[in-house]
Amino acid sequence: MRVSTMLLILAALMVSFTGTVWGAETENDRCLSCHGNKDIIKMGGERLLVNPVRFAATTHSFIGCKTCHDSVTPKHPHDGAKPSKASCKECHAPIQAEYAKSIHSSKAACNDCHNPHEVKSPLAVSGDDINAKCAKCHDAKKTVKSHTKWLPQADLHIEALPCITCHTGSRNYVITMSIENRKTGSPNGDFKLATFDELARLLPESAAPGKLIDKDGNGSISLKELREFNHKVSRHDMRLWGMMTPEVVTHSYQILDNRWDCTFCHASGPKAMQSSYVAFPDKSGGYTRLPVEKGAILDILYGTPDFYMLGTTRSTPLNILGGLIIVGGLMFPLVHGTFRLLTRKNRKEHQS
Amino acid sequence: MKHTVYMTPMPVRIWHWLNAFGIVTLTVTGLQIRFPDYVNIFGTYKAAIRLHNTAGVVVSISYALWFIYYMFVAGTLAKLYIPTAEDIKHGIFRQAFFYFYNYFLGRPNPHHGTPDSKFNPMQKLAYLMIMIILLPLVIVSGFALMYVAPMRELILLIGGIKTLVSSHFLIACCFCAFLFVHIYLATLGHTPLAHFKPMWNGWEEEDDEEDQAAQGNDAAMRH
Repeated sequence: MRVSTMLLILAALMVSFTGTVWGAETENDRCLSCHGNKDIIKMGGERLLVNPVRFAATTHSFIGCKTCHDSVTPKHPHDGAKPSKASCKECHAPIQAEYAKSIHSSKAACNDCHNPHEVKSPLAVSGDDINAKCAKCHDAKKTVKSHTKWLPQADLHIEALPCITCHTGSRNYVITMSIENRKTGSPNGDFKLATFDELARLLPESAAPGKLIDKDGNGSISLKELREFNHKVSRHDMRLWGMMTPEVVTHSYQILDNRWDCTFCHASGPKAMQSSYVAFPDKSGGYTRLPVEKGAILDILYGTPDFYMLGTTRSTPLNILGGLIIVGGLMFPLVHGTFRLLTRKNRKEHQS
Repeated sequence: MKHTVYMTPMPVRIWHWLNAFGIVTLTVTGLQIRFPDYVNIFGTYKAAIRLHNTAGVVVSISYALWFIYYMFVAGTLAKLYIPTAEDIKHGIFRQAFFYFYNYFLGRPNPHHGTPDSKFNPMQKLAYLMIMIILLPLVIVSGFALMYVAPMRELILLIGGIKTLVSSHFLIACCFCAFLFVHIYLATLGHTPLAHFKPMWNGWEEEDDEEDQAAQGNDAAMRH
């Protein structure tokens, strides 16, 4: 059964890669003509509804509905049969095996965190969205409280880190910045992630949200473009919010010993923080990230004004300036003291 | 002829050394916090941060006591620390000329400290900067850095957390520079330790001669 499913997936992928996705799309469209329509909720609840835009952005849409729901007949839903559902491990066996060993496996199944009709790659999910998933079970306030016992400024840490950064064997940390705004109607409210629609309104029709910062549209953000954006938005209710996110994630949920040590993140030195991205929201609810020129995180004022990691993102020009101030203070005793030593006779003569 | 004067009452001495100990602790822990990959004095990064925060609170309380005392109890804050028109017109220049020229020729200090006028015009200016501008700024920025999430709106108002951290760091460097100058100037009494003793036991030995030449910065440590 598993081998046959794999073959089917491979076949579907080959069809999609060769460009003849027409067949799969037609099949998906046929399913979505009912399941993509909100009226289906009346027939059996929200679980039957699939958001067509979000589904289209998933890798699962390429393999087609029937790959997972293979018992669906042409007579569905009038045949009275309950459609089959593939289990995740049929395709994702290594991840399932890894997850089974973790402390989390007895608490939540795959579907509790991942909606198969809306799955995204780790890089297309915002840190906020990841933490929102965790908060479904781990109450946000209680989580901050329990971390406060050992972690200074736990609230700030949890806002600036996806939980999986410390609680999975994640790797390759980068700084991912997202655009946040205050929502209409609550001018003094908290900053929240800006949605695709909100950003689209600020741009000419059909322009990708990336154009908000990447003015020349070359697919990467220069320091100049970033500074201009930050300078402009500082007067508006919008900002860039940076999070330290892993590029490689695992499902080995655990409490990693080395994460108790602050220097795991805070002493990796400025060089570690050179890679940064801005993640722009897509129509599908995911994010597309654009790379930022190296140095943005260390730029003193306009690079990323609201992102700072103690001990890690210090700016070299500022260190030199600080050093010069201290040396200036040290020079006074040295220079004055030298003249004092050379002219000590004058004061002795006066005293005598 | 020499006589001793009770220059520094005990509360002032306690305040001074508590402040001094606090500021040195803040400087050393701050060094580890900014350069953790090069400096590890306190074992762990968290220990350095906790100690830095504690010392910050101690110095803040000590500052508040100082301010309340001089502003509201003694009421001498403006008189002691704000340079007069005469100070600005002539005093600062005269004092600078003494430190950088007349002192080396063995000529007298134009300022002689009394309990009513502890500081010479340059000291007034320096302490005004330190106590009325830099110390409050470093305290406020320090508290904002201790509670970043709750103080986010304030932080955004001043241009983001980087502006805040940069100001905190540069002011700390100014304090460090001040410390070297402060300790050196305190050695300019009629003997190198003349100004240190009263800050320890309260009593200062003074020459009766008013024109004592090497009395430079005679109140450096009386602050």
